[in-house]
Amino acid sequence: MKLNKFIDHTLLKPTATKHDIANLCNEAITYDFFSVCLNSCYVKLAKQHLKNSSVKVCSVIGFPLGAMNTNAKVEEAKLALKDGGDEIDMVINLGLLKSKDYDDVLEDIKAVKNIMPNNILKVILETCYLVDNEIIKASEIAIQAGADFLKTSTGFGSGGATIHDVKLMQNVAKNKVGIKASGGIKDAETALEYINIGVNRLGTSSGVSIVTGKTSNSNY
Amino acid sequence: MNITRYIDYALLDSTTTESDIIQLCQEAIQYNFYGICINSCYVSLANQFLKETDINISAVVGFPLGAASTKSKIFEAQQAIKDGASEIDMVINLGLLKSRNYVSVLKDISDIKFAIENTPLKVTIEIDELNKNEIVKVCEICLDAGADYIKTSTGFTKNGATFTAVKMIKKIVRDKVKIKASGGIDDYESILKYIEAGADRVETATNIMATNKAQQIRNSKIFKQYLENLEKSKTTSDSSIITKV
Repeated sequence: MKLNKFIDHTLLKPTATKHDIANLCNEAITYDFFSVCLNSCYVKLAKQHLKNSSVKVCSVIGFPLGAMNTNAKVEEAKLALKDGGDEIDMVINLGLLKSKDYDDVLEDIKAVKNIMPNNILKVILETCYLVDNEIIKASEIAIQAGADFLKTSTGFGSGGATIHDVKLMQNVAKNKVGIKASGGIKDAETALEYINIGVNRLGTSSGVSIVTGKTSNSNY
Repeated sequence: MNITRYIDYALLDSTTTESDIIQLCQEAIQYNFYGICINSCYVSLANQFLKETDINISAVVGFPLGAASTKSKIFEAQQAIKDGASEIDMVINLGLLKSRNYVSVLKDISDIKFAIENTPLKVTIEIDELNKNEIVKVCEICLDAGADYIKTSTGFTKNGATFTAVKMIKKIVRDKVKIKASGGIDDYESILKYIEAGADRVETATNIMATNKAQQIRNSKIFKQYLENLEKSKTTSDSSIITKV
């Protein structure tokens, strides 16, 4: 089974240089990954590198805390799309979720989705900070708001994706929206575990070792 | 000298609730802190509690990575000011700095400063990610870009402020840009030491005024003596500047 098109090839550390982004794009072309996933300041640069390829550009928004005001998230998303972004990975407002202010959590996501009806919006729940009920609630809200994907983690929290959390999200998603597992997926074996339970996309900065390692001679 | 007026009382965790923010505001009022420092989504809530007071609201922008596009940082800052923020704490674009793309790093800061006009702009340089040369370079960029403060750290990296870095920054910027020490500062004594090292503002997520130890220190003779000396040294350095002019 080919894993390359499941992978959002990711580089989000704040010290990533232009050179690092160029490398990321070249690797994404070489291994034909689904996309590159990066911070919004680098969308334009990545698009230049990728304009003659089928690799998409995915920009994170309100990242990694999700605690910026809604209008700023909307504007950041608008600009990222204008700069050549194809997909948006936004972070849910965790504080409002913890405050049980579900209407505002919904409006935050809706406002972003409204300006990008034809582009894929992934909503990052940052599951490491949520109990099971909150994961279920956040999944319901994101789907109601028009999310195209539920995504587990930023990679900047106290933990990344887990099979348990993904299954909770899948139970709510019921295949109506996609699931992206991210955070801590570093080898082919882990990647396949997620694919095998039906995950649609993987966010990882270890894409190259995943596709050149165990996977290349694996048949699952 | 009133220590509390040097303090930005911060709460920046992503899981901070509305009631956490309300409590932060209440404590800031109770202890008369200079300000609070919060994420931009909570500025308008905090403003409801603080607008009748002289407690300032600092909103962080492009936080904590600094890797949002310049225009979205500008928009976030403008919205925060509309919502009631009186100061903006932005994070520099570290990636462009590491790319040695200094013009773009400067433009990121100066575009924001231009957009927010007279609102004080603190520029977080995240010293934990920088070597000495880079700190010097960033300080020069901040001077040129019109920053009102250089802020050491976001508090989201392994290490926050250090006395060495604050002294070093002070040596470079002198009195042309103010300094805010931040990140991992959680006791009364450290705050005093940072002020002594040259900090004009200190950020802490701990209500140091409410701790017993702080009470003990404040009531001690040694501490009162220390404050007097500090006050004297500040006055002396101020007058020496005036003499020079």
